[in-house]
Amino acid sequence: MTMTETIRLHAGGLYAIWFREVKRAIRDRGQLIGGVSRPLLWVLIMGIGLNPYFRGEVYGEVRFVVPYTYLQFIFPAVIALNIMYTSIQSAVSVIWDRQFGFLREVLVSPLPRATILLGKILGGATVALFHGCLVLVLAQFADLSLSIGDIAWGLVLMALLAFGLTSLGVVIAGRIRSFEGFGVFSNAVILPLYFTSSSVFPLDPSLTSAQTAVIYPEWLTFLVRINPMTYAVDALRGAFIHFHQFDPALGPAALLAMAVVFFALALRGFARA
Amino acid sequence: MTAEPAIRIAGVSKRYGRTEALKDVSFDVGRQELFALLGPNGAGKTTLLHIICTILRPDTGSVIVGGLDALAHPTRSRRDIGVVFQEPSLDDRLTVYENLNFHGLVFGVPAALRHQRIAELLDLVELRDWRDRLVRTLSSGMKRRVEIARALIHTSKILFLDEPTAGLDAQSRERIWTYINQLRSQRDLTVVVTTHYIEEVEGCDRVCVIDHGTILALDTPAALKAAHGQQLLRIVPHDDAAAAIIAEYPDATVRPDGEIVIKSSGDSFAESFLSRHGTHIRRLSVEEPSLESVFLSLTGREIRDQAAGARERTLAFGRQGGEHTR
Repeated sequence: MTMTETIRLHAGGLYAIWFREVKRAIRDRGQLIGGVSRPLLWVLIMGIGLNPYFRGEVYGEVRFVVPYTYLQFIFPAVIALNIMYTSIQSAVSVIWDRQFGFLREVLVSPLPRATILLGKILGGATVALFHGCLVLVLAQFADLSLSIGDIAWGLVLMALLAFGLTSLGVVIAGRIRSFEGFGVFSNAVILPLYFTSSSVFPLDPSLTSAQTAVIYPEWLTFLVRINPMTYAVDALRGAFIHFHQFDPALGPAALLAMAVVFFALALRGFARA
Repeated sequence: MTAEPAIRIAGVSKRYGRTEALKDVSFDVGRQELFALLGPNGAGKTTLLHIICTILRPDTGSVIVGGLDALAHPTRSRRDIGVVFQEPSLDDRLTVYENLNFHGLVFGVPAALRHQRIAELLDLVELRDWRDRLVRTLSSGMKRRVEIARALIHTSKILFLDEPTAGLDAQSRERIWTYINQLRSQRDLTVVVTTHYIEEVEGCDRVCVIDHGTILALDTPAALKAAHGQQLLRIVPHDDAAAAIIAEYPDATVRPDGEIVIKSSGDSFAESFLSRHGTHIRRLSVEEPSLESVFLSLTGREIRDQAAGARERTLAFGRQGGEHTR
């Protein structure tokens, strides 16, 4: 096998598997409807509805806990939510392939399993990234003025997040045999991760740890702090509203770590299957 | 057989938990041969095929495909193999063309060759007009044809077909064999096919009869018939006479429809049978040696009623009102 043949095989195979995932997602109307309605609900209804209540009162003087409106505050989190749903849901196609025999067709190909898995995850991540961009379209409702640089950096972070979460989905799919089971399980993973990621409420950084402990119970701050999604959402806030609750370097680091660790886990499970 | 065999299998064993799916199986398949694996369900045919296709690893033994150790170099040996699985493995949300193109890409077939092969093969399996239809709108016979076309888009030298005609109507089955024969005349192709339709095996170069994970016989259909074939008497008795006949011929098998099949030792056997039971039977036919009888004498059961073990025999006997059944 010459060098060009090897490259053609891997590049072509990667492209074919990636493109198949994307095509299937485009033909699946239900998924698209979910991807549009979810951010509409969260941004237009939750966001606008809770907007006036998002402020703290100090000695009779009204000030915002964070120097942004609630809409602006949850906007990056809704992007993360949409990516999360689509990423983890895209792993359904792993179960689908196993159930309907298509997996065999790929397994008898000369592609190594790592390439097959990479193609699949990149495909799912692309779809998830697209669903994240659907939220970006709503940016004007949240009064966000985004520079090209903000958007570019944001997209990089979103892509990393999508890749890591799609890998997580594949890890979960490797342990679950039925579609129904996956639906229940994925909700049981997505919603707790989302709500404990400081997505809908801030842990006010201006408070000392003692003050935080007075406002929030310790178990909740603990959950928020160990949840990697907290730092992912924080990274997206950094990109879109230039606001960080934590060390700005933590976010990208957490995203990178998630991508690497979950892909390694997915690969281990897939090589065994 | 000249030079190197297309496939050489030596001492392959595989167990699943406590059941031994394959026990020390060894054989060669010559180049350009049409080789059939014949056996009832659960005989180990599919397991064997999966091992040769490198998606399953044997516990012991070696598999050489096209001179290459398939166990040591699975990804390389897969380039020479085209597989049609027993269960459908197409993506039915993609079109026929998209499925074929996907296969070409994951096998690294260059674009020009890929498009040419897809067009040729769609013509061969007479599905050119269905090129842009979603696979889920196709009948099961058509899907099987797409899968055969797909297995040949890369330069496969060996084609594996696992029950390619199972579940298809007679016309579709015949078509599929026409395509296989056409392909063999067009390119350097070795074909390994598993089936439990005995009549399809007649046209193969060699037949390997396999049951319970071991090879019972391996030869040309003619040689098999000469060595293991037997004249068979097929008898439909009057309801009350079945028990007596079965009692007299302990090696008789009873089919679910009540027909009794007895191995005959020659023409005089039929005569002596008739002189004794001639008045108790509705119908009798004498069947000349066929692969069907080869299978019967090798495995002790007919391939059509695949699970005609002792229990089924008793049940069938009971259904006819036989004694000693509870």
